[in-house]
Amino acid sequence: MSFDVPEKQICGFIGPNGAGKTTLFSLITGAIRPSSGKIHFRGNDVTGMDSARLVKKGVARTHQIVRPFRQLTVLENVQLAVHYGRRAVLRAAAAREHAMESLKLVGLDHKVNRLAAVLSLGEQKRLEVARALATAPELILLDEICGGLTASETRAMMGLLQRIRETGTTIMYVEHDMKAIMTICDRITVLNFGQKLAEGTPAEIQNNPAVVEAYLGTSEGSVPSA
Amino acid sequence: MAGRMKFSSLWKRRMALILPWLLLLVLLVLPAAGLSANMVRLLFITAVWTTCSIGWNLLGGLAGQISFGFAVFFGLGAYTTGLLMHAGRSPWFGFIGAAAIAALASFFIGLPTFRLRGPYFAIATIGVSEAVRVVMNNLDITGGASGYRIIENGPYRPLEHYYTAIVVVAGAVVISSVVMNSKFGLALRAIKQDEDAAADIGVNPFTNKLWVHAIAGALTGIAGGIYARRAGFFYPGDVFSFQTSISILLMPVIGGIGTVWGAVLGGVIFGIVEEQLVAKFPDLHLLLYGGLLILIILLEPDGILGLLRRLFRSKRIEDSGSTGADEILWGRSRLEGREL
Repeated sequence: MSFDVPEKQICGFIGPNGAGKTTLFSLITGAIRPSSGKIHFRGNDVTGMDSARLVKKGVARTHQIVRPFRQLTVLENVQLAVHYGRRAVLRAAAAREHAMESLKLVGLDHKVNRLAAVLSLGEQKRLEVARALATAPELILLDEICGGLTASETRAMMGLLQRIRETGTTIMYVEHDMKAIMTICDRITVLNFGQKLAEGTPAEIQNNPAVVEAYLGTSEGSVPSA
Repeated sequence: MAGRMKFSSLWKRRMALILPWLLLLVLLVLPAAGLSANMVRLLFITAVWTTCSIGWNLLGGLAGQISFGFAVFFGLGAYTTGLLMHAGRSPWFGFIGAAAIAALASFFIGLPTFRLRGPYFAIATIGVSEAVRVVMNNLDITGGASGYRIIENGPYRPLEHYYTAIVVVAGAVVISSVVMNSKFGLALRAIKQDEDAAADIGVNPFTNKLWVHAIAGALTGIAGGIYARRAGFFYPGDVFSFQTSISILLMPVIGGIGTVWGAVLGGVIFGIVEEQLVAKFPDLHLLLYGGLLILIILLEPDGILGLLRRLFRSKRIEDSGSTGADEILWGRSRLEGREL
């Protein structure tokens, strides 16, 4: 499969379970080395580059299953990302200031001294986003940041996504919540069995017969997953 | 109420800053107050062990990389110091050489072994350590298994050894504190908890582990150097032994893994137990360590320092800014399996 992600847009990636969405993210962020193919970021070949270096180039991600540093405080979690992210801030005081900005953006600034372990799932999801944002990415890959959230939490997350876009950050977004993804995305790419099935605006995707078939199945009558 | 709490926590913070320096001062003037030769020797060896404990704790406690191979650094430190002094260099040059060689060795050990994680890393370090011991047993220029003798000019001055060890252990405490409170220390704590998540925010787990391994190795190397200079004679079956690696690992675990003062406490307890009990019950001390280790892992994963903190639990919650989080953490740490 091959695709481009235009700058400063929200590009959605959807597909049935096991289509390869998370694998795609892992390939782009360097968690997995591709066995073939090329990945370019801002005109540079970044194929096979490790995660830590990609972060310094401006590519950050969140995980579908949250991975906060449980025994660090909320502030420490985000502060670390400022220190080691693209900005590579050296001084602790300056790093904490930047960290507070990210935490304010996701609405966690009142819980900075809590251990990440004691946050609720919704809060941990927001911490995950704040930590990725604190690396000052040019491209951020968000993997199901609304999974397991309530309707109101999801709405808040959509507002957050808009604010991230307004800061000029490009977003690649995987979500199973169709309503969320159809309303927020500029473009959508549909994956199925590791292949690109379709690509286009939300309206085009909704009316694409191949997509409908992948989701609802044909003769075998597979279970729709979203 | 709030004012009082603020005052008391400020006071405690001041005490925490003053107390270590007070302790150092006492240790420095103690010999002048007429300390028995045996006591000087005991404090010397305790300081040597504590330095190793502090070193290991940076890698094992802070970064969560459990190594069974620190005898390599201890032994290399001993031999480097011996060889350099034999070549006519000053002991201090010898110690710096010991640190450099140990750090260099840590790099070569770390390059392949830090590709492994958790128990696989731990097992690999055993292999490296044993391999080094076998090589040293058969190396001609150091006398092989029959050992190495340092011949120092001038009279034997026990206090010089003592002061060297005290200065080195104080330096180790300072280095350890600086590392723990730096962004590097924060990165190591993150690596301990989740290497991949650390990489996702730009922390390179591999290079950071290499760095902390080098610092830990250098500290242990210096400790090996000052030990060797005072002992005058040592052999691979002693300084490179698996027992040495185990001892170095035991200290921070006993004292309280992951904190400077836990490592210090463990070193002091170990030093005293090793010197006093071994003399009286030479066959029993291993049993004692084994028993102590089982008790600590079962009952108090945070070591003796953790036990002390738990005894003064209410005060600790007042100390930390995180309201209520500690309760849950303490509750959690009992349920969550620790690395050791």
